Amino acid sequence: MQADLFDLALIGWLIKTTIQFSTPLVLAALGGMYSEKSGIVNIGLEGMMLIGAFSAVAATYFSDNPWIGVIVAVIAGGALAAVHAVITVKLKGNHIVSGTGVILFATGFTTLMLEVIWSQRGVSDEVTRLPQVVIPGIQGIPIIGDVFGSLEPIVYMMFFAVIISWFVMYKTPFGLRIRASGEDPSTLDTAGVNVSTIRFIAVVISGCLSGLGGAYLSIGYGARFGKVMTNGRGFIALAALIFGGWTPIGSFLAGTFFGFLDALQAFISLTMPALAPYNNFIKMIPFVLVVIALAGIGRSRPPKAVGTPYEKEKPA
Amino acid sequence: MIENPTTSSQEIEEKTFGNRISLWFDSIVKRFQSKDFQKDIWHTVISIIIALGVAAIIMVATGYDPADAFSALGLGAILNFDQVLWRSTPLMLAGLSVALAFKCGLFNIGAEGQLYIGSLAATAVGYMIALPIVVHQLACIIVGVAAGLLYGIVPGILRAYRGAHEVVTTMMLSYAAVYFTQWMVSQGPMHNPGDWRSISPVIFDTATLPKLLGSSFLSTGFIIAVLCVFAVDFFINKTVMGYEMRAVGSNEDAARTAGINAKKSMALALGLSGALAGLAGTVEIQGYYHRFYDQWSAGLGFDGITVAVLGRNNPWGVFGGAIFFGALKAGGSFMQTNAGVPSEMVQVIQGLVVLFVAAPRLIDWLSKHGVEYANWIKSEPKAGIPSIVAFGYGIFGALMGIIVVSPYVASNFSLLILGFFISMASLAVMVFHFQRDERRTSSTLGISLVWLIMALSGLAFLATEVFVTSLIMAGIGFFLSILLKRTQSDILVIKEEGT
Repeated sequence: MQADLFDLALIGWLIKTTIQFSTPLVLAALGGMYSEKSGIVNIGLEGMMLIGAFSAVAATYFSDNPWIGVIVAVIAGGALAAVHAVITVKLKGNHIVSGTGVILFATGFTTLMLEVIWSQRGVSDEVTRLPQVVIPGIQGIPIIGDVFGSLEPIVYMMFFAVIISWFVMYKTPFGLRIRASGEDPSTLDTAGVNVSTIRFIAVVISGCLSGLGGAYLSIGYGARFGKVMTNGRGFIALAALIFGGWTPIGSFLAGTFFGFLDALQAFISLTMPALAPYNNFIKMIPFVLVVIALAGIGRSRPPKAVGTPYEKEKPA
Repeated sequence: MIENPTTSSQEIEEKTFGNRISLWFDSIVKRFQSKDFQKDIWHTVISIIIALGVAAIIMVATGYDPADAFSALGLGAILNFDQVLWRSTPLMLAGLSVALAFKCGLFNIGAEGQLYIGSLAATAVGYMIALPIVVHQLACIIVGVAAGLLYGIVPGILRAYRGAHEVVTTMMLSYAAVYFTQWMVSQGPMHNPGDWRSISPVIFDTATLPKLLGSSFLSTGFIIAVLCVFAVDFFINKTVMGYEMRAVGSNEDAARTAGINAKKSMALALGLSGALAGLAGTVEIQGYYHRFYDQWSAGLGFDGITVAVLGRNNPWGVFGGAIFFGALKAGGSFMQTNAGVPSEMVQVIQGLVVLFVAAPRLIDWLSKHGVEYANWIKSEPKAGIPSIVAFGYGIFGALMGIIVVSPYVASNFSLLILGFFISMASLAVMVFHFQRDERRTSSTLGISLVWLIMALSGLAFLATEVFVTSLIMAGIGFFLSILLKRTQSDILVIKEEGT
């Protein structure tokens, strides 16, 4: 029996799943935006998400309070990003090398600690989830009730982060400085602003947001940590960032688009069981579509000074 | 004997192929002897040593014995040397693939996809067509390489002529390849009939690569990989196309002004990168797996990035990096069975090595301050000796901070956080002393206060050994800071008297 495709509840489910799947992507993509706008390539988003997801579960496990889990996840993501920042900003190391190191370290470390703490490979014990935000009175409304009736708090944080990021980037001196340090660091330096500090802060912010995205995966949407549970989402977020043209709104839209593709697959496998033998084939299609879309859109322009360490000119 | 083989005027004179080859060998030897190369090697070795040190601290903190683990790791790598080479074969090829793209300024983050497509195509040729022995092996390799090349050149063309960012396109194509191959061997036409697993049928014996030295792992694929190291080195350094790619990689605009077809170079670079990744997959299928398992590579393409960065995008560096990571992988499984340390520890070590390799200035900084510090202690032993004792106290404290709380890792979160903080702060104390920073005395005093807090919380949680150790550490800290304070003021007095 085929389900009715135009059932309102199903459409509501699709929208809700889209929002849920895109939340970690948007958060990590926003984080990546801070870093790349300031001139530091951050391919380590994946690792920062992973450490966030892990430490959220670990802290919740020990403290039995998921909110402490969220805070620890943000700090852990920021701490790993600080390592990346020390290497790329202070020690002028290669950004991609450092990012690769961050991912490798996070992957190995979280899997190792999974075994140390819960002495099992694969998945952790179940922990307390973040409580859902239930908006009373709208449950009955079709679609809106299905979508916003009860959502995880980090989803709302994500919407908030998008708006704040847009405001910070384009309406505050700090945002101007971040953008300047990615476009033309020597001018910023001439204006008396410390480029290293700006870049350092931007990279740490990127880690905090990625850590929050990871926490969503582990204690927002689910309730446990699984080995390498980010499953390439950091890279997808990186793609969303580039696809969205290195802007907060663009990252949000692109992240939501990738989340929608994910949700659509779940939707198809739920509503059209006849296509089951082609499941993996269908999963492939969105990625091909993205490539075709990119070929159509054409050139994307990264911040000018991204990837190049800034050397302060020495007084002669 | 030519003095400088890189001078262009001399290169124009030497046009025959034989001369080129001999020049190239000379240049390889020269490069091995050059200062830069030796400095790179030196940096990498130091990075590995520091990374192993940090990994040892992590092991102590998580309750494993680093001495056991490292000896098992080393022993495993020596005893299973054939496995080391077997593991390093695909790493070498994938590393060359990523390094070649890097040379042209492109980041092939999706080598995994090209590897899957190449290996799937080779598997198809391997079991669908019956051919005589050498022909069949070659046919598989050629088809696998060609498939990888096509899968790599698509994002290359998109990047060159449409400006689509290669990080996104190769990444997306990589996911597409994973799902496509998964479908092909699970529900699609290449599924092994009647099998519940997602695998293809086994390839014919005529298509398999012969094993080397009686090993059950190592195949002639390793020789192919080493030949590729030579080939890529020659291609990058001694051919016009390779030169153009390097020019585009170092400065695209300048290369274009100089009349180089940058678009063609980019497309070809990603294409060749894809071909090498495809070869990595093909060799692995023909040499070891003999059939296509769903998701068999488990991140070889990503490991390729790691190998390329460890080898600094130099083909010989990639060779060394691949052997090193191959040894870690082979030793890792030995370590897991014989020392009980999870093989993920190897990944932690890999990550740390890469992080330290990323920061060459850290090592310069260490050696510069190390020399200054030693000189200072020699010239002013009265202040220097307490300082070096405090330096040791910092190292010891960093270890003790973790060791003391390690029995409580699973039960007491606040002690864990406190221990972690003490370790980090002790490291800071160590750095302050090492740098002869002004804050060294106050930070030593600060850390002893934190030890006191630790002792109190040990008392609160009824952890006797935490209480006792922390109290002793705090005591040593206080004593040291008083000593430091006195010697420091002595120096000031002496200096004032001197002036």
